[in-house]
Amino acid sequence: MNRDVHQQAREWISLTGVDGQGLSDAQQSQLHAHLRECELCRQYADATGQLVRSLRSVPMAAQPALVRRTQARVRQHAQLLRQHRERLWMVGIACAGIGFSATVTIPIMWRIFAWLGAWAGVSSSVWETGFGVFVIAPALLVSVLLLARGTHLTDDAGHWRH
Amino acid sequence: MNAAALYFVNGMESETSAIARGLRRRDPDLLDRLIEQYQHRLLRYLTYLTGHRELAEDLFQETWIRVLERGHQYDGKHEFSTWLFSVARHLTIDSMRKKNPVSLDGLLDNEEEKHAPLDPVDIRPSAMEIIAQHEHAERINAALTCIAAEYREAIVLRFQEGLTLDEIASVTGAPLGTIKSRLYRGLNLLMPLLKGAQA
Repeated sequence: MNRDVHQQAREWISLTGVDGQGLSDAQQSQLHAHLRECELCRQYADATGQLVRSLRSVPMAAQPALVRRTQARVRQHAQLLRQHRERLWMVGIACAGIGFSATVTIPIMWRIFAWLGAWAGVSSSVWETGFGVFVIAPALLVSVLLLARGTHLTDDAGHWRH
Repeated sequence: MNAAALYFVNGMESETSAIARGLRRRDPDLLDRLIEQYQHRLLRYLTYLTGHRELAEDLFQETWIRVLERGHQYDGKHEFSTWLFSVARHLTIDSMRKKNPVSLDGLLDNEEEKHAPLDPVDIRPSAMEIIAQHEHAERINAALTCIAAEYREAIVLRFQEGLTLDEIASVTGAPLGTIKSRLYRGLNLLMPLLKGAQA
């Protein structure tokens, strides 16, 4: 037997931990045939087997407190994620509602502003500007309020200071 | 495939599919059960991977938070443990990177871990048995911390967690040939360190 055969046998032993798992049938029978003939590789296989049994015998248990703490943290985090998701749904529904109502009301408001402009006798550029301000003002107000969150106007939790 | 094997495979698939469905729903009861079920294996893997029990405990919690957040990524086609170890491994690497930005893969830096003691928790019997068990475990842990982290990881996954070579390759993201070489070299490094200490 040359050196490569021994090395090959030892590599196979190290892969399987001598239970044969991970080797093909042909490889297993080749290995067993070699082990029958080679004393040194047999010793290597015994040593590996002992080592693997030692490794498997090491007890390592998680403390019950760690498990309970982890479960509590996971549950809490799951609840936060659920709330976050619900909030996102609410925002989505609100956006859809606003979009729908804007689509319906803007043409009506445009006509009302045009009628008011004619009734007051102002030029079209004046009532059109008025209409623009009327439409944009709520969005501007909300933007300012959102930007103000996280500044000195609110506390760390984002609530308004009184 | 015979009927018993088919039954076993189908049973395993339905269990992993149920886990995948539960994780997509972020079912807290399922997560409680998984934490109970995989507590020892995950903590042991993390402890050997990091070489520090305290860090491993922190990462243990973070791993389950990550499982909760990214549970939808588990496809249910593979063993849950393989995916779980993979999540834990990525978190560990991230944690090592934060601690030591110079070395991008802290797992491969073994020098700083050589001194680190692992602290196995013993289970039950008599005082003498506990002492003997503890000494034996400490000797093995000390030997494991003396070999490079990538070898240690391969050995722990293969011989303690019982993963197949393909599963180890999947967890570590390393080619199969590399895993085989790590196992061979790791065992050869470990053997002289544990001579006379084996049970």
